[in-house]
Amino acid sequence: MAKFYSSDAPEYQVGKEQFEFVQMQGDIADETFKDKPIGFFKDAMLRFCRSKISIVAFVGIVLVITLSLVVPFISRWDYNDQDLNRINLPPKMPVLENAGILDGTRWLTNRRVDGLGDTNRYPEGSILRVINHRMVQGVEMCDIKVDYYKYSGVEEGTYFWMGTDYLGRDLWVRMWRGARVSLAIAFISVICNVCIGIVYGSIAGYYGGKVDMLMMRITEIIGSFPEIVVVTLFILFFGTGMLSICLCLVVQNWIGTARMIRSQFYRYKGSEYVLAARTLGVKDMALIFRHILPNSIGPIITRAMIAVPSAIFTESFLAYIGLGIRAPESSIGVLLSQGQKVMQQYPNQVFFPAVVISLLMIAFNMLSNGLRDAFDPTQRGA
Amino acid sequence: MEPILSVKDLSVSFNAFAGTVHAVRDVNFDLMKGETLAIVGESGSGKSVTTKAILGILAKNGHIDSGTIMYQGEDMAKYKEKEFYKIRGKKISLVFQDPLSALNPIMKIGKQITEALILSKSIEKSKAKGRAIELMEAVGIPNAAERYEAYPFQFSGGMRQRIVIAIALASNPEILICDEPTTALDVTIQARILELINEMKRERDLSVIFITHDLGVVANMADRVCVMYAGRIVEVGTCEDIFYRPAHPYTWALLSAMPDLHTEETLFAIPGAPPNMLHPPKGDAFAARNRYAMKIDFEKEPPYFKISDTHYAATWLLHPDAPKVEMPDILKHRIARMREEAERG
Amino acid sequence: MAKYIAQRIVAMLLTLFIIITIGFMVIRLMPGGIFDEAVDMTFEQKAALEAKYNLDKPIPIQYALFLKGLVLEGDWGTSLKMHINVPVWDIIKTKIPVTLYINFFALLISLPLGIAFGIVAAIRKNTMTDYLISFMVVIFISVPSFIFATLLQYFVAFRAGWFPIIFDATSVGFEKFRGLALPILALSLGPIARVTRYLRAELAETINSDFMLLAKTKGLTERQATINHGIRNSMLPLMNIIVPMFTGIMGGSLVIETIFSIPGMGGIMVKSINAPDYTVTLAALIFYSLISLITVLIVDLSYGIIDPRVRMGGKK
Repeated sequence: MAKFYSSDAPEYQVGKEQFEFVQMQGDIADETFKDKPIGFFKDAMLRFCRSKISIVAFVGIVLVITLSLVVPFISRWDYNDQDLNRINLPPKMPVLENAGILDGTRWLTNRRVDGLGDTNRYPEGSILRVINHRMVQGVEMCDIKVDYYKYSGVEEGTYFWMGTDYLGRDLWVRMWRGARVSLAIAFISVICNVCIGIVYGSIAGYYGGKVDMLMMRITEIIGSFPEIVVVTLFILFFGTGMLSICLCLVVQNWIGTARMIRSQFYRYKGSEYVLAARTLGVKDMALIFRHILPNSIGPIITRAMIAVPSAIFTESFLAYIGLGIRAPESSIGVLLSQGQKVMQQYPNQVFFPAVVISLLMIAFNMLSNGLRDAFDPTQRGA
Repeated sequence: MEPILSVKDLSVSFNAFAGTVHAVRDVNFDLMKGETLAIVGESGSGKSVTTKAILGILAKNGHIDSGTIMYQGEDMAKYKEKEFYKIRGKKISLVFQDPLSALNPIMKIGKQITEALILSKSIEKSKAKGRAIELMEAVGIPNAAERYEAYPFQFSGGMRQRIVIAIALASNPEILICDEPTTALDVTIQARILELINEMKRERDLSVIFITHDLGVVANMADRVCVMYAGRIVEVGTCEDIFYRPAHPYTWALLSAMPDLHTEETLFAIPGAPPNMLHPPKGDAFAARNRYAMKIDFEKEPPYFKISDTHYAATWLLHPDAPKVEMPDILKHRIARMREEAERG
Repeated sequence: MAKYIAQRIVAMLLTLFIIITIGFMVIRLMPGGIFDEAVDMTFEQKAALEAKYNLDKPIPIQYALFLKGLVLEGDWGTSLKMHINVPVWDIIKTKIPVTLYINFFALLISLPLGIAFGIVAAIRKNTMTDYLISFMVVIFISVPSFIFATLLQYFVAFRAGWFPIIFDATSVGFEKFRGLALPILALSLGPIARVTRYLRAELAETINSDFMLLAKTKGLTERQATINHGIRNSMLPLMNIIVPMFTGIMGGSLVIETIFSIPGMGGIMVKSINAPDYTVTLAALIFYSLISLITVLIVDLSYGIIDPRVRMGGKK
């Protein structure tokens, strides 16, 4: 309620001592800030940590990286240990096996009932359940559930957590070895992208004019080639090594970073603080690296994070079309494309890598969302 | 005289990331038929929020906490979104600050003017074009018939503001709210737009709420003035009251900070910054920046003191027990000069 | 406008020419002769074959002959491994329609669906509906299309048996569509999510723009303002993502055609790379270049139609 003064309202009978000037003397200074200044990164970190999803994604990524670094060293088998006696084993894990999942069993259908007693084919104790007795053309048939480890004659107490592939290689080791290779390819290519992008974009953005026009024209031409075609030709020409896969991911992808950096330069190079530094005689290089570029740190990190899953995607894509990492080396893409071929019989061989790549991609996307929000709160929720 | 629009004890707040922002606190004013009421204040004082509340176009996180907005015997503060449709554009129109962004960049000018008329079926489609061209001519667009088919990017800033005014007037509203209509324009264009608004007001018998931070503009436009600070109206009066007999220290400061041709001393700047409206200060919000602040200013919010029938101010300086204070000399001289000029001109 | 179109077409042809040139050079400069592996042929036979296919001539001349044949006679060369002596055109001409079918079908269903979800999410921003849509978006954007293809094939086709596991090339009509439904679905999920995310962000921003506010103050209802002003304006930037999106669909279709055994260009390309049969690979690469360049062209021209500022040569 707005109040109006009236001389008889008791509310406004105020003691005379209250009417005393308190700041007639001296200047009224602008208030000083009481809070401690927070640095850009600390501020971003604080905001980042507030988002639970980002934290979960970050932990997930760290976990995958750790597993991919550690597992291949401590495992009993090497990623390329082949053994034809244990091919296509189903997954079996301690603890979980007691719960009836990942217990190393498998259903075998259409078995002759009279053959079940043959201990050469079905070692003692390997048959767990027999169902579905039926007569097919005068022969008694049935479906059986077997302990596939015993059935294949694998040593007691052996566990292949994700099973084995068609050469009897341990998929658990191959999974993490593959994740390591895929992540390495992704990180190397992204680092190259960012470095080239920064240098190229800085030069174009800082010098502007004809230099900029020419440089941007070049990126336009490179960018106009369809990605699949460029990647395919690149691999055809340079071979399927890890290095050439890394490089083929760089050919076009640095352009985006370069354009972003360039536009940042256009935004900041005309600003007063840069002008001030220039009039104070700051050299070109110092202007670029100390005064302008740090503004782009946030977008660069965010961009790099989003480029990682797309690099992993391209690596798998290449593996699928037969231009990826060569056997016997493992990668997520290699596992996927091999597993896909035997999906109907052994779904576990494609299921595990599919889950890992999906979670990894989701985690990286979440992380880059979180980072973007942290570095640039105005974009929140966009 | 009857008020056409009457705002009583209006409070508006926003739920922000950091907490609740009390943007408008207990605002009262009446808009009389045919008058121009100016609302003056610095950025963030709540003047735009007040008008947005009247039209029901507050941002999603904002809401009216209390108060009434009486128009045609109905309280608009209680309106639902649907009920506003019969008011917006038809009875009360708004002219925006920035004509560059207020027009849809990919829709033809003519269509933007007639769109609302056609959609509300207040005019037949065939007649809409003629009406739009008439309006464009009225707001001073040359070659209106040709320009009907043009897009906003083909217009200059001043022309775009004329279009925005034409859009606002399209349905013959009674009240026109101008939210800093000249701030985004070149100085040379500003005067013409103000002239246009005055002309339209006379011709169409409009009542105008004119929001600005520019006291110079107020002197030319307004019949009455509200001075807002930190979400409250601190002083209200006729143009003469405010310019010749200001009573609130904030008004003094504003008038002293206004540049004019005769200023030879350093221009006065109000020290400090406006209070954080997340936590409005106890007492008088202006106290911390006020040279004439008294003990009570920090403890108790001042009520409105009546100076004349038209003139009220919320400052403890007007309390009978308060020491008598004259406005600063520099301002006295300035007011004397203004009077002289006014008498001569 | 006509000049603008002409410029774009010339630029497109130039790019295509560069791609063909580089592609040809890369493929012909690969180490090793094409018939090296054919141990059962005598040296003379190989030489005769090489002469027949102009492989004994210097590479620039081979290239000139190839271009001449391609431009003048529509001759794409002859398959050397997969279907020996069959003209490449005869191999690919039956494969092109099915690839175009799944690619464009995927694009055509992603746009309206993505736009619809985007609008709903933007209008209901920060409600449960929005959160649900945004959650799905993250998943569909992140998980690669061939993973969806694999999962759909396993669960929906193999386990549930609702759709054929692999595509039957001889099927027609509804059966054909049923065979292609899962591949198209797998290809569309990602693009739908992309469009949704983009449109949500754009529309949410447009809804807060001044001209939306003006539209409301001049008396339009929320709905009228959103339809007349919001959506069309937020469609403009959407054009930016169509090209990368379509490239993504094509990349995905390469793999998905293999997964579902669809006899399309993707399968041909993969097989030709692994054969290796480079005349066919080159033809496949040219095909993929051509359709992505045409997409770019269409998008460029649509800009002019939607945005008067581009059409009239005004500043952007």
